[in-house]
Amino acid sequence: MAETVEPGHYSGKRDIRTNAVNYVIELAAIEKAFAGHQVLKKVSLRVKEGEVCSIIGPSGAGKSTLLRCVNLLEQPDGGNMIIAGQYLEAGRSHSRRDLLTLRRNVGMVFQSFNLFPHMTVLDNIVLPQRRVLKCSEEQARTRGKELLERVGLADKADAYPAKISGGQQQRVAIARALALDPKVMLFDEPTSALDPELAQEVLAVMKEVAASGMTMLVVTHEMGFARTIGDHLVVMEDGAIIEQGVPEQVMSDPAEERTRKFLSAVNR
Amino acid sequence: MQGFWAILMAVPYTLLVTAGAFLIGFILAIPLTFLRRSTMAPVKALAMFIIDLFRGIPPIVWLFLIYFGLPVLKIRFNPIEAGIIGLGVVSAGYLAEIFRGGLLAVHRGQFEACKALGLSGWTSFTRVISPQALRAMLPGLATYFIGLIKDSSIASVIGVTEMVFTATTYARNSPEGIYVFFVAAAVYIGLSVPFGLMARGMESRLQAAGAR
Repeated sequence: MAETVEPGHYSGKRDIRTNAVNYVIELAAIEKAFAGHQVLKKVSLRVKEGEVCSIIGPSGAGKSTLLRCVNLLEQPDGGNMIIAGQYLEAGRSHSRRDLLTLRRNVGMVFQSFNLFPHMTVLDNIVLPQRRVLKCSEEQARTRGKELLERVGLADKADAYPAKISGGQQQRVAIARALALDPKVMLFDEPTSALDPELAQEVLAVMKEVAASGMTMLVVTHEMGFARTIGDHLVVMEDGAIIEQGVPEQVMSDPAEERTRKFLSAVNR
Repeated sequence: MQGFWAILMAVPYTLLVTAGAFLIGFILAIPLTFLRRSTMAPVKALAMFIIDLFRGIPPIVWLFLIYFGLPVLKIRFNPIEAGIIGLGVVSAGYLAEIFRGGLLAVHRGQFEACKALGLSGWTSFTRVISPQALRAMLPGLATYFIGLIKDSSIASVIGVTEMVFTATTYARNSPEGIYVFFVAAAVYIGLSVPFGLMARGMESRLQAAGAR
């Protein structure tokens, strides 16, 4: 794999501290290997404030791993990054405080929702506010109810996650992440575990979140979402970004043959 | 009928040894479980060694070692203490494995969600992980506890005046004394069954509150 990086993007070990400030996510030459297999090969990516950046590509391309490096659920082996103004370098052990700061700035929504099954929907949203933001019970409940209203689930506040649909669980998970007032939201294939109808209600909520000005990095197979809501489209293949740009343009006239193949396979 | 009362009088000792051993086992099993889950190979190996040591030696041998062996080192326990400690050590080995199984039953995504939300290790463990692990562990814990009620009879060999000790003494001293063991059997069942029912009740309550 050649180490060519898109113009305007970083390459190598260059220090990125001195660069522009209106980027919420700046990844420079992020590398990650699992048991000798190189999953990410010096991936560099910048996401502007308020931008919705979609990452597409075949499975095994390293999309999810890249996303998980952003909030350090995976520790990158190489490279460095600035996330919401916080500088982080691979290969260093990060203090508990640094991780806490990072994760307060970065919200995440998982493919498998990961709501806490032994708590009601509202308690799922209240607990992190109480413990992370140190809100009062009263404040946390009020905010929780507001957010449930926002994702259209005000009537499910006292239900347990198992009693609501997958689409509803995912909307709760989005509300739970929003409750901590993140500066960026990561979505890891948020609709892949849902049938199309339920996926639509989740996408509608994501659209609303995007409209509110949230910076979003979204790994997805929903081409419609990437095209209409996304501001920027990144195509990954084999641990590297092979193409990126304005979604409409990349989708209708891809520069890379591999992108063309992938798109025609998904659009079939 | 006298045998019946004698056995009943011994029930508190059976329960004391059982509960004491379970408590000690529970407390010791917690650090063992964490060491066993360590990502550092030597720590993990040490925990596995301790667990195998605790479980691998028969309870009766532990009791002899503690009650008759430790006095050599000028450490003396009365029979009840020795019984509780010996069975407690064995319990720690088994319970550590039950705890480990319970934690393995908690979906990996739950740990990740805790991290992604920025919850502290303590909050994650006490509020999110352990309630779910406990639910998965409950059948195993109940089975082990019921087993321990019966295994506490082993403490009779070092002179703890629990049910079997009492029954044996009674049987030796009365002509048709062997029948007292039927009484003992009935009382053991009378103790085990309610605990089993209690555990099942707890399980279904937890099930109702948030089944997956």
